[in-house]
Amino acid sequence: MKNDELFGLLQVLYPDVSSTVAETGEIQWQVPTGIFLEVARTLKDDPRFAFDSLMCLSGLDLSKYPTAVKGEFVGELLACVYHLHSFEHGHEVCVSVTVPKDETASIPSVEPIWLVAGYFEREILDLYGIAFPGNHDPRRLMMPEDWIGHPLRKDYQYPSNYSTWELKREGQNFTSGPYA
Amino acid sequence: MSHEIQEQNDDLITINMGPHHPSTHGVLRLVIQTDGEMVKTCKPEIGYLHRSIEKIGENLEWYQFVPYTDRVDYVCSMNANLAYCLGVEALLNTKPETAVEIPLRADCIRVLFAELNRISSHLVGVGAAAMDMGAYTPFLHGITQREFINDIFEKTCGARLTYNYICIGGVMRDLHQGAEAEIRAFLDQLEPAMHSFNALITTNTIFRGRYAGVAPISREKAIAYGMVGPNLRASGVDWDLRRDRPYGIYPKLKFAVPVGGAYGGSKGVLGDCYDRYIVRLLEIVESIKICRQVLDMMPPPAEQADDPVGGYRVDVTKKLRTPPKGGIYTRVENPRGETGYYLVSDGSKMPYRLKIRTGSFTSLSIFETLVPGLMVSDVVALIGSLDIVLPEVDR
Amino acid sequence: MNFGPVQQSIAASLASWGVPHSGSELAALLILLLIPFGVAFSIAGVAQYFERKVSAVVSRRFGPSTAGGEGILRLVVSCAFFFLPAATRARLEKTVANLPGVKQVLFVVSYLGLGQIVADGLKMFLKEDIVPRAADRFLFRGATYVLLLASFVALVAMPISQNFYLSDFSVAALYVSAVTSVGVVGLLMAGWGSNNKYSLLGGVRAVAQIVSYEIPIALTIATVAMWSGTLSLHGMIAAQYHPGVLSFLGWNLFQSPFFLILSVVYYTAGLAECNRTPFDFSESEQELIGGVGTEYSGLRWGLIFIAEYTDMILVGGIFASLFLGGYQSPIGEQWIVALPPVWEALVHGAIFCAKFLASIGVMMWLRWTLPRFRIDQVMRMAWVRLIPLSLICLFLLAASMLWFGHDGQVAQVIHGRFVSSLVVRPEGWQTASVWGATILVVAVLVVLAKKYGDPKPMPEDVRKALVGGEG
Repeated sequence: MKNDELFGLLQVLYPDVSSTVAETGEIQWQVPTGIFLEVARTLKDDPRFAFDSLMCLSGLDLSKYPTAVKGEFVGELLACVYHLHSFEHGHEVCVSVTVPKDETASIPSVEPIWLVAGYFEREILDLYGIAFPGNHDPRRLMMPEDWIGHPLRKDYQYPSNYSTWELKREGQNFTSGPYA
Repeated sequence: MSHEIQEQNDDLITINMGPHHPSTHGVLRLVIQTDGEMVKTCKPEIGYLHRSIEKIGENLEWYQFVPYTDRVDYVCSMNANLAYCLGVEALLNTKPETAVEIPLRADCIRVLFAELNRISSHLVGVGAAAMDMGAYTPFLHGITQREFINDIFEKTCGARLTYNYICIGGVMRDLHQGAEAEIRAFLDQLEPAMHSFNALITTNTIFRGRYAGVAPISREKAIAYGMVGPNLRASGVDWDLRRDRPYGIYPKLKFAVPVGGAYGGSKGVLGDCYDRYIVRLLEIVESIKICRQVLDMMPPPAEQADDPVGGYRVDVTKKLRTPPKGGIYTRVENPRGETGYYLVSDGSKMPYRLKIRTGSFTSLSIFETLVPGLMVSDVVALIGSLDIVLPEVDR
Repeated sequence: MNFGPVQQSIAASLASWGVPHSGSELAALLILLLIPFGVAFSIAGVAQYFERKVSAVVSRRFGPSTAGGEGILRLVVSCAFFFLPAATRARLEKTVANLPGVKQVLFVVSYLGLGQIVADGLKMFLKEDIVPRAADRFLFRGATYVLLLASFVALVAMPISQNFYLSDFSVAALYVSAVTSVGVVGLLMAGWGSNNKYSLLGGVRAVAQIVSYEIPIALTIATVAMWSGTLSLHGMIAAQYHPGVLSFLGWNLFQSPFFLILSVVYYTAGLAECNRTPFDFSESEQELIGGVGTEYSGLRWGLIFIAEYTDMILVGGIFASLFLGGYQSPIGEQWIVALPPVWEALVHGAIFCAKFLASIGVMMWLRWTLPRFRIDQVMRMAWVRLIPLSLICLFLLAASMLWFGHDGQVAQVIHGRFVSSLVVRPEGWQTASVWGATILVVAVLVVLAKKYGDPKPMPEDVRKALVGGEG
């Protein structure tokens, strides 16, 4: 089934979802955080969708993403982008959930639905700081347990030392690029 | 940093199959609680090889990131390069102004080298799996064959491990003189070499006794845990991106997709370690077929580098300065499974977000539920059969 | 320790060169003692060299070929002329290297990698001896001595030749089996004393394995003792004497089909006793890093290594004595026994060495070819397969001996200096019928196994893709 047909079916069940199309042609279904868990369950269990495979779960920091207006950014938001795939029907879809970028950033965990999400969510917890209540093991994945900060955020401050190690040296600039 | 895991039960001992271990195929730490032989819990700890490649990518221009993709999976560097380059080209192709037309010869060279690298990566994978079981010789026989492939790659692109050869728009330079004859000669002697390799280890009763029936992953579990590639096919799911979501010149190629089938004899179960091992060996056979077909259909080199039929690269530097805005997710079939790149572009010359989804990452996530109940020796067998490389996991 | 006639004849030669009589016997003894000590201390380097070379042949590589002649030359010159300053020694080395013929010799040494022997031996001496701080020092250090003790004390019983042997006592076979069991204590000491969970796991596994596989070995020795009428190794060898040109017909291997089966059982159990692949999970690198030897470095590890290879020599030697006629030559033993003592000792000693070296070579070959078993498979192999098999062979051999006893001849065999106990010599047709019956039974079993064996063989197309047309 094509993407807009699927989206039509979903919108009948959950009128709050919306769909955006980017310049690249990618269609993203925007789902509010409150109903996300039910939407995810429907997408997996409903035989018309049958999305039994979560291909990829990425975090995204939208605070430096440009809007149509030049010089303006989207805002202090974090997003999680879920790419789903159905082995039965063969269709693929992209679902996005947006949360504000502060201490309350949290999205219900879809690990009970797609078991692979366990590690993906731990990685996003570690590198972006979004909490996933419902994940069976909410610890940092890549960084050491006592690391401070969430490295993949756009406003991440590189620490000058970690326990007894010096990480910065005088006169050395570790950051380059437009987001330094 | 110290991670003290308290002993919860006096009858269990906690072993670290720690970062330094001959058989964890990289720096992986498995904290195993066992009563001596049977494992009760297993918690993998990763992050020892985390190099923040994704963050680096956000600070480099699109074409500057290609060498970093080599290091994401250095055993199959060509495929890793190809995954990223196809992702960027797919991004550029979404708008007609920035569309890229890869020359046919470049496409053929890409697929040829990707398949050769698939052979060498599988040789390392099955060789290391056999070595973990105590058979030191088959690994070396596999490495001998891999050396021939490395020599071919070295003559073409100068490197033996991290090639940085496939780039956005084609390949860095054309094949070296006499490459096609060399590759044909290599493929001809690879087939009897694989036959003798299999006669040595694959049909060995002891080896089958170690691998058959160990840690089976059922079809539903494999899909739920996001297994991809040979691990998924060994569990009975007939899914191969080269056939089902084809890219490059794969639509024109004929090859079979090996699927697991409880090949381990009376003790074999669908999706056990032996199936994963056999699927990789059968894929080598298929890759040989693909390489021969590609060599037959490759057009001769042309004068101009960007000739649409015989060229080897088109210039995309101007197009990469203003790519279309938005995200795109592309995936290719790497030896270790699907490598997916989720690229988000903000219209500038640097990526906004570069997410690498690798097969080994999800293969590792199944550990915590699969390992309890196995013996310590079987954990080693499992790691070997899943063919995990840690740089893919940690990035 | 009595080296008998060899010692006497060397003493006589020394006396004829002018050494006073009282000292010549002692001198002869000391000269002869050099042999076992020399063997013992060169095992480390030589065994490692052969291990590397066999591994290279099996993996289609060259193996050690760079540990070279130049290094040995420099080592020899530096040690011999240590009192000279370095520059002089360098010039001296250059001069020696330019002498005629030296370069060719060095090339051969390099090409064969013989320098590896010296390199490996030296490496063990020069490495730092690390004793972990939390390790139990007494157990950690004592383990190596216990392991060495177990192996070397058993070496005393090796039947090397008629005139040169370390000892001959009437329960030698049982003695060897008993003394090597002491090695179990050494493994436990090493495993526990290293204060390392990997060593502990390795030690416990090794103990379970060694204790289990001693039973087939003991049953095999009992069977051969029953046939030969004695537990003494020299006596068993004497019982295998067959006059005439084809003296290999007297070997136990050909006397009865049950000995053929038992030889395989013994060799397998011997592999397990030595912790060699396919039974080496107690020291498997891939799971336990180093097994009991994980924390040992330098010479301590070298001693454990020597103990393991001495075990291999023991297994090979006993295998040769039990089944291959010991130091007897396969052809013309009658005339070799009649040689003068020193010659007889040399020839027989060489034959004995060849036999146990061949068995060690096969052990190395198997190590580099086969994968290893898992612990439960090892235990099953011992208790469910080898022990019942050796028991069946024991009973069947006893039954056949009862049958032979009524019609066959009973006599003593005189073999040079040794006389066997009363042995039953079956008639030709009796031996042939026992062989024929066994071959028939085995053939029937093989056919049945092929028919009802594997209910789910690999699909034919997969098999063909993997191993090619011939299969």
